[in-house]
Amino acid sequence: MPDPSRRRARRALAALGAVLLVLLTGQTPAFAAYGQIEGTGSTWSQVIVDQWIADVDANGIKVVYTGGGSSKGRKDFASGTTDFGISEIPYQQTDEYGNADNANGRQFAYLPIVAGGTAFTYHLESGGQLVRDIRLSGETIAKIFTSQITSWADPAIKADNNGRTFPDQPIIPVVRSDGSGTTAQFTTWLDTAQPSIWRAYFGRSGLTSYYPKPSGSRMIGASSSDQVMNTVASDAGNGTIAYVEYSYPINKGYPVVKVLNAAGVYVEPTQYAVAVALTKARINSDPASQNYLTQILDDVYANPDPRSYPLSSYSYMLLPTGSSDPRMTTNKRQSLVDFMFYSLCEGQGKAGAYGYSPLPLNLVQAGFEQVAKLGAADPAVDVSNRDATKCNNPTFVAGDLARNKLAEIAPAPAECDKQGAGPCLGAGQTAGGAGTAGGAASGGGAAAGGGGGAAGGADAAGAGGEVVAGVDDAVTIDPETGLPVGGGGSGGSDVASGSVSTQIARPAGGSVAFGALAAAELLAIVLVPGLLAVRARRAAAL
Amino acid sequence: MSTQVRVDDPQVGSALPRRLSSRLSGSDRAFVVAARGVGATVLLITGGIGVFLAVQAFPTLRHYGWSFFTETDWQPEADRVGIAAVLVGTVTVALVALVFAFPLGLATALYISEYAPARIRGALVSVVDLMAAVPSIIYGLWGFLLLQPYAKGIARWLHSYLGFLPFFQVDTDPDAALWEQTRYTASAFVAGLAVAMMVLPMASAVMREVFSQAPLGEREAALALGSTRWGVIRSVVLPFGRGGIIGGTMLGLGRALGETIAVALIISPAFDLKFQPLEIGTNTVSALIALRFGEADDAQLSALLTAGLVLFLGTLVVNTVAAMVVARSRSGVGTDI
Repeated sequence: MPDPSRRRARRALAALGAVLLVLLTGQTPAFAAYGQIEGTGSTWSQVIVDQWIADVDANGIKVVYTGGGSSKGRKDFASGTTDFGISEIPYQQTDEYGNADNANGRQFAYLPIVAGGTAFTYHLESGGQLVRDIRLSGETIAKIFTSQITSWADPAIKADNNGRTFPDQPIIPVVRSDGSGTTAQFTTWLDTAQPSIWRAYFGRSGLTSYYPKPSGSRMIGASSSDQVMNTVASDAGNGTIAYVEYSYPINKGYPVVKVLNAAGVYVEPTQYAVAVALTKARINSDPASQNYLTQILDDVYANPDPRSYPLSSYSYMLLPTGSSDPRMTTNKRQSLVDFMFYSLCEGQGKAGAYGYSPLPLNLVQAGFEQVAKLGAADPAVDVSNRDATKCNNPTFVAGDLARNKLAEIAPAPAECDKQGAGPCLGAGQTAGGAGTAGGAASGGGAAAGGGGGAAGGADAAGAGGEVVAGVDDAVTIDPETGLPVGGGGSGGSDVASGSVSTQIARPAGGSVAFGALAAAELLAIVLVPGLLAVRARRAAAL
Repeated sequence: MSTQVRVDDPQVGSALPRRLSSRLSGSDRAFVVAARGVGATVLLITGGIGVFLAVQAFPTLRHYGWSFFTETDWQPEADRVGIAAVLVGTVTVALVALVFAFPLGLATALYISEYAPARIRGALVSVVDLMAAVPSIIYGLWGFLLLQPYAKGIARWLHSYLGFLPFFQVDTDPDAALWEQTRYTASAFVAGLAVAMMVLPMASAVMREVFSQAPLGEREAALALGSTRWGVIRSVVLPFGRGGIIGGTMLGLGRALGETIAVALIISPAFDLKFQPLEIGTNTVSALIALRFGEADDAQLSALLTAGLVLFLGTLVVNTVAAMVVARSRSGVGTDI
């Protein structure tokens, strides 16, 4: 009978052997069946994808997603440097530069991952306060982004807002400077809904991933959605307007434009408005087609439902389905399968809170089938036992996958949001009650109040599944809400100074103590390493 | 009888010098070979980079010819690709960086080597060296989030009071009640400020090194003649350190020319040939490469690598000249005191 210590030693040796085997062969044994997967692409959907990645991390699935824009996502996937890509638009076959835009022979399938609205966020200050609740028609937006309307006091903007006037400030459009799916979605809409304005500006028809920025124009180019949002939200962003996914302004507490839809109602891109709009999306339903599940959005832009947001769309993952894909292994496929099953199932429940809209169940079902192709490519991958109807998906109506509950329960638009009525003021993000400070109010007190209100609004918008409903419920007429109208002239430099975001970030009390602490810390950070080095040197010299 | 003269052969060997053997022992020979090999590898790598870039650049240069250097736009879709605007932007950012880094670096080096008490000298050196260890993305974030709100105020001040100078021009009205703040942001000026912080430690270290080598004899002579400390600096340290000042600044210039990520974070990419560092929109070679690399196809990649080749040759020349100047100063030539 072997003595216990020897047995222990043998067991340790066996464990060591297993580790060595793993190190040598790169094969992971059954207890760690997940391989790390890497992807690049859309920053439009990056906020929710990052959240899903954080969620599945607890299950041992390591996913690295670095954004970089849809064009980069498609390019990287085609050149085989990533395991998956995310893009708003499918491969265009020929890109803007006249070069091939295809998967370069790599086998793949499109997989819809989330829906959302391309929002127009803006930063306009009046009387030291952020102006909110601006409404714009599609034509006005097109003219703003083609440099035909250059002032916030333009009569077209005034007409859109039913006579409400804004400071006579130049409008500075912020556009993406990198190849972007957001730009592609926006220009698709421009080309379909406002062809005469867009084509005259662009010089030809169709969409582009690179927004044309003629030299000498006042537009600002910024790379990635984050940078666009930072530019708008920065201290100096007064007068800017930009197109980004709805989640970015929500995170920053910045307002978005209510866009006029085909029914003559100004609508925000809430999860409901997006869900309603996308009921008219024409989805390629031919499983044999390479473009299976891709979208044609013409009818979405013209959706006659008064609750729909025109610039709604789906975002897609490029899924490597080839059985001999050089980058894929069984472990990586398993990671991708379980990551996507989570995202399409449980993950959709989070979409609304993050400024997106969940996929309807029929697309989730189709997505599951696409994911299952990974199982077909590699029989060792476990894709069994998945049922779309068991997901906690807010769009789910029992018994009918094609129906979208969100679209059915979407609230009817408020009277004041209709063309020629309203405008609805003080609702939405300013529901915290701060917006009441008049234009004449000046000085730190009023500004801090505004900041607090904005923070409150932002909190409400980030707190859970019910949030957007809360915002929508709050869409009631509040004609008493003061708007700092025309404060531009007398407001002078007061108006320009100070941004909302910094006011939110500043602690309310004890600023002196915090300041002293910060100064002491800064001094310590700068001095301590040097002093330690001196002491070490002196000790060595002795 | 004849006198016999004794002839004594002194048995001295011929007057030839002793043969010196320069044959190395085994370990010495191994060391020489290894050191020579490693040194050659560095040259090989640098040369390899140059050759690689040149090969990659060849199709682009053949396609565009000289227009690659005169065209300002970067529009591969319209077959118009050139680096004139980008080169101007690169030089602008680097010059702005030097305008700030040179006086700061010089003053820092002078203080550390001449004025600082011995107790804190080591700490100061460490702190300045620590600045070089901060990753450049940190400087980028610092410049974008912290510096820019203040820098735009300075830019506006420069524009409103010195706007008659062409390079302080900004295409907006500085005295408007609601001044257009965005026109002063994301500019070569702000990017240059961030780059200056990265250039500073390098320039300062080279200058400090050279200042500390100013000959003691001359220093004491100056003091003996009744010179003040400033007088010593002016008459001994600065003339002897002239090479170090120039060399350190040029090494800094080399770094500033290639600085990428901080610039890419701060600027708003634009392809206008302009000499207005205060105004929004510029681009540098390295930022262009960083921002466009991910989505570049073969032809565009070749164009980007050609831009990289130009930058590579530029920095190579700058750094070589700098190294020569520094080396000359260390040997003491060129000081006429």
